[in-house]
Amino acid sequence: MNDLFLSFVPGKSFLHRLDPRTKVLGLMAVSFCILKVSSFEIMALMAIIFAILVIACHLPFLHFVRSVRPMLPFFTFIFLMQLLFTEGTHLFDFGLLKGTYEGFLLGSILALRFIFLILFAALITATTSPSGITSGIERLLRPLPLKYLGISSHDLAMMMSLSLYFVPMLFDSFRDLRDAQISRGLDIRKEPVKAIMSLTVPLVRMALRSVDEVALAMESRCYTGEGRSSMYVLEFRSLDYALLVFYCVLLFLLYI
Amino acid sequence: MSIEVKDLSFFYNKGTSLEKKALDKVSFSIVKGEFVLITGEVGSGKSTLIRHLNGLLKPHSGSVKVSGINSTNRELRSKIGLLMQYPQRQLFGKTVFEDVAFGPSNFGLKDDELKERVNESLLLAGLCRDIADISPFSLSGGQMRLVALAGVLSMRPEYLILDEPTSGLDPENKASLFSTLKKLQTTGISVIIVSHQIDDFLPFANKVLFLKNGCVDFIGSPEEYLQSVSSPIPELTSLMKELQNCGFEVASDIYSVEDAFNEITRVLGSKEVYKDE
Repeated sequence: MNDLFLSFVPGKSFLHRLDPRTKVLGLMAVSFCILKVSSFEIMALMAIIFAILVIACHLPFLHFVRSVRPMLPFFTFIFLMQLLFTEGTHLFDFGLLKGTYEGFLLGSILALRFIFLILFAALITATTSPSGITSGIERLLRPLPLKYLGISSHDLAMMMSLSLYFVPMLFDSFRDLRDAQISRGLDIRKEPVKAIMSLTVPLVRMALRSVDEVALAMESRCYTGEGRSSMYVLEFRSLDYALLVFYCVLLFLLYI
Repeated sequence: MSIEVKDLSFFYNKGTSLEKKALDKVSFSIVKGEFVLITGEVGSGKSTLIRHLNGLLKPHSGSVKVSGINSTNRELRSKIGLLMQYPQRQLFGKTVFEDVAFGPSNFGLKDDELKERVNESLLLAGLCRDIADISPFSLSGGQMRLVALAGVLSMRPEYLILDEPTSGLDPENKASLFSTLKKLQTTGISVIIVSHQIDDFLPFANKVLFLKNGCVDFIGSPEEYLQSVSSPIPELTSLMKELQNCGFEVASDIYSVEDAFNEITRVLGSKEVYKDE
């Protein structure tokens, strides 16, 4: 029943208590690191930092395994592409294709980058409530002159958190539908085209209907977007300031 | 042929800190032709249990066997039809025909035989044949649900499992569903209903299974069920109990309108005969 993909795990650890803005900025800083650096040592350091954070927050490792698992075919594809189509020292033959040592390194780094991006994002969603993420992003976007472009920072943040909210819901619906069609004799492996038709049509219908319902529910509670106060008043504490300084130093060191 | 469930246990999120026991050593059997009502509170494991009966879930311990074969065998899927809650959501076909034909065509039925099967199940579900060529999405919610029911009946299951089939149905479609159930009873199909609506289904049932926190709290005939005080009872039974308390000498183990009518007319000395509409 409980799909754990990118969902919130309530708790009282220090990551849970951090200001959402710090966490969102932290995720951005970490992402810059991951995308900039291409050495295995830094990746190993990332893994250690990640493991320490997970243990310190008493989160189950399995939660994160499940977050990465759906994307594994994609990562494998990236890895294989790099492995087989990079010029360099010959490593092995795979039919007409040749695996190279350079390709292996490049592929591993790329795949690891994506995996760490997802893991750290999952760490943030696991330790921040959806409303926390919304208000955090909203506050961060507020100083930007977005409103001259006709975009409200609040709407943007609300859209982001609603999409996050829909992910587990879609997984639940998908599982129910899959069960229903399997009960009617669908063999997903043998007839993938039939499976896609019989699963996506009702899933899209259901998603559109839920979106309509959520929109109606928001409207019937007089949601207007702008000028909405927040239940959570965001406040930076000393740890938040310390971390912000740390991010700046980190990014400074990276790019200079 | 029968369904044998033996010491079935199942956990959600097994092996994580969120592990939750859903079923705890559940044992019972369903003989072919029986009408079984499975009831219990929300979260008592009803839906989890029926997902085991047609092999969607594998037991973590214990076994579920249908005439000696493990329920995870795919061939059994056509024999055990499962209609989920809100089944109108599972429709996808361009026409009603395409959707109802999905099940039997997955088991290799073709052409004329398939057409015949679809017509037969549409009628059995209380729909008219004419709707076969229109889009299921143009129908009302209640009719869509009957189309979904036809989609399961078209596999000619020997066991039919329905999860909360009446929730959200209007009286008209409910009556249509009940008449389908009555027809099914005469054909020898076993019907297994999961529902909170014991008032609706107790009159059909020969066996009641009451689940509590993933354990079988009660199993037996509807009459025995009414004796076990701890469980919720139908409104008719409470009415008869009230009448009894007021000094009328009526039996209290009554749960169908017909029996209640007969019992009350008997006590009143009237010779009126019950007419089922």
